[in-house]
Amino acid sequence: MSILEIKGLEVKYITHDGTVNAINGIDLEVDRGEALGLVGETGAGKTTTALSILGLVPNPPGKITAGEIFYDGRDLLKESEAEMRKIRGNDISMIFQDPMSALNPVLTVGDQIAEVIELHQKCSKKEAMERAMAMLEKVGIPAERATEYPHQFSGGMKQRVVIAIALACTPKVLLADEPTSALDVTIQAQVLDMMGKLQHEVGTAMILITHDLGVVADTCDKVAIMYAGEIVESGSLVDVYNHTAHPYTVGLFGSLPSLDKDVDRLQPIDGLMPSPMNLPEGCKFHPRCPDATPECAKRCPKVTEITPGHKVRCLKYEGTEG
Amino acid sequence: MADNLLEVKNLKKYFNTPRGPLHAVDDITFTIERGHTLGVVGESGCGKSTLGRTIIGLLESTQGEIRFEGLDITHPDMKRKKELCKEMQMVFQDPFSSLNPRRCVAELIAEPLKIFKVYKFAKERDERVFELMDVVGLDRRFATSYPHELDGGRRQRIGIARALAMDPKFIVCDEPVSALDVSIQAQVLNLLQDLQDERGLTYIIITHDLSVVRHISDEIMVMYLGCMVEKCDAKELFVHTLHPYTKGLLSAIPIPTVKEKKPPVLLEGELTSPINPKPVCRFANRCKYCTEQCLQSAPALEEVLPGHFVACHHVREINGL
Repeated sequence: MSILEIKGLEVKYITHDGTVNAINGIDLEVDRGEALGLVGETGAGKTTTALSILGLVPNPPGKITAGEIFYDGRDLLKESEAEMRKIRGNDISMIFQDPMSALNPVLTVGDQIAEVIELHQKCSKKEAMERAMAMLEKVGIPAERATEYPHQFSGGMKQRVVIAIALACTPKVLLADEPTSALDVTIQAQVLDMMGKLQHEVGTAMILITHDLGVVADTCDKVAIMYAGEIVESGSLVDVYNHTAHPYTVGLFGSLPSLDKDVDRLQPIDGLMPSPMNLPEGCKFHPRCPDATPECAKRCPKVTEITPGHKVRCLKYEGTEG
Repeated sequence: MADNLLEVKNLKKYFNTPRGPLHAVDDITFTIERGHTLGVVGESGCGKSTLGRTIIGLLESTQGEIRFEGLDITHPDMKRKKELCKEMQMVFQDPFSSLNPRRCVAELIAEPLKIFKVYKFAKERDERVFELMDVVGLDRRFATSYPHELDGGRRQRIGIARALAMDPKFIVCDEPVSALDVSIQAQVLNLLQDLQDERGLTYIIITHDLSVVRHISDEIMVMYLGCMVEKCDAKELFVHTLHPYTKGLLSAIPIPTVKEKKPPVLLEGELTSPINPKPVCRFANRCKYCTEQCLQSAPALEEVLPGHFVACHHVREINGL
């Protein structure tokens, strides 16, 4: 049973200069305890997807124009703000991208973790603090540092605190927005290792938003590749990594320098991501696609399930359901 | 004899802080052959950017010697410094803050040409600006755009065009692609390679991304807390990884394949402070092979295999050499 299901979500930002089509009809499903990697380049709509789930798309200028988001059978888009406040941090929580700016500099880290617990889990201040300290230990920080301020921690430690806050109420769904992009590789490995362990321990479903295909391969069960506000390919790790179907995904893999193979020249994707204010007709990827046909400029491709669970949005595969 | 463009000998750069000298670059020696690329890798705070800036002359070295084409350039006078700008250039890390937001693209690229009064007539200069834009793959229609109107990849191309304006022999690229998306990153890396092939440029590429350096470098130098811990041929480093830090660094990189993976050798702990370090192995507190000896003296750089230098007391035991 899926814990979170997104159906036909569309988000637009209405600005003076025009309408930004941030998300153009995405479908996504995450099962209990499962980790899904949401991969895409800057501006693909990854973060907006996460913000819509939490009802945090800034309005105005943002507006969810269509779609449904089901959490445990409830449509989150129909819930009142008061209900959403109960869900946020308790059932669904988020790890923000930049640990340096996600923490309040004038509160101790212990207070910041205890705040979530106190708000959601009817308990005394003292008990909340005790649980906050236990949480700190869990993410690998000595409990006695709970009385210190964020500036006394290094980047990796701050991100651990942010993770402790997100997991303090054992949420059912965790949205991690580029949790390790600001960290060095050795620290990234430590943090990912710890997140994986906690995710299994708590049984949380996770959506990991990243641009790093390597991180996804290490931590996730499923992948969805986003391009210009659409999911162009999704499936299990093996489907997407070993049986790559969509030309954009192929391009992404071709752009990565490898650690074990010798490549003389990288094979980048030509051109740039289209401006979300002015998306091309038909398939959004066709101006950059090496396999594009005249047909691609006319018609927007439908999602095709080429093998069970492996979905691709490309005209090449239409009518080849497996 | 090898044609060495740049020689760096025992280079040190200390910053004075209230708590004592911060050893940003500590005793680094290397040479680069003309037309080659040296990749400098390390985590944030290991001194790799300081090294690049010291070589280029943006920072004055505390001790040591830098030779460019055989001539000592460690402490150049103002006149020499200006001349050196024509020979060596730098591409900066962040294309979002390294460009003047109030200048348009053509002005930005023309700036070095104006400073050196290369052309008598503005028309000639404009011609050269367009030529440079073609070289780095910037469409001429962007000449009157301002940096904020362009994306990161194009902005980085402006930075590269500025560096190329005076036809330098040597360019230091400080994290040239880390602010860019992967598909754009690949375009910029290809551009850097093409320019090297056409013009015989020599590069120092400073980055934290090992897969990028492996792709683009001839030689790689791994830095840890201001010291060089390992240096060898680019391919060799990945076949025979000798230093325990490099091993940890390599195993920490997430690899985008779904093969059966070796459990990673997680490095515990974090960087220690580079302020007033003790004369011991700086990696000792994170190293699982650490012994009494490591806490007593700093290991010297040794040629363990031909052309493969490592600074570790126990490199032979660890690797069974």
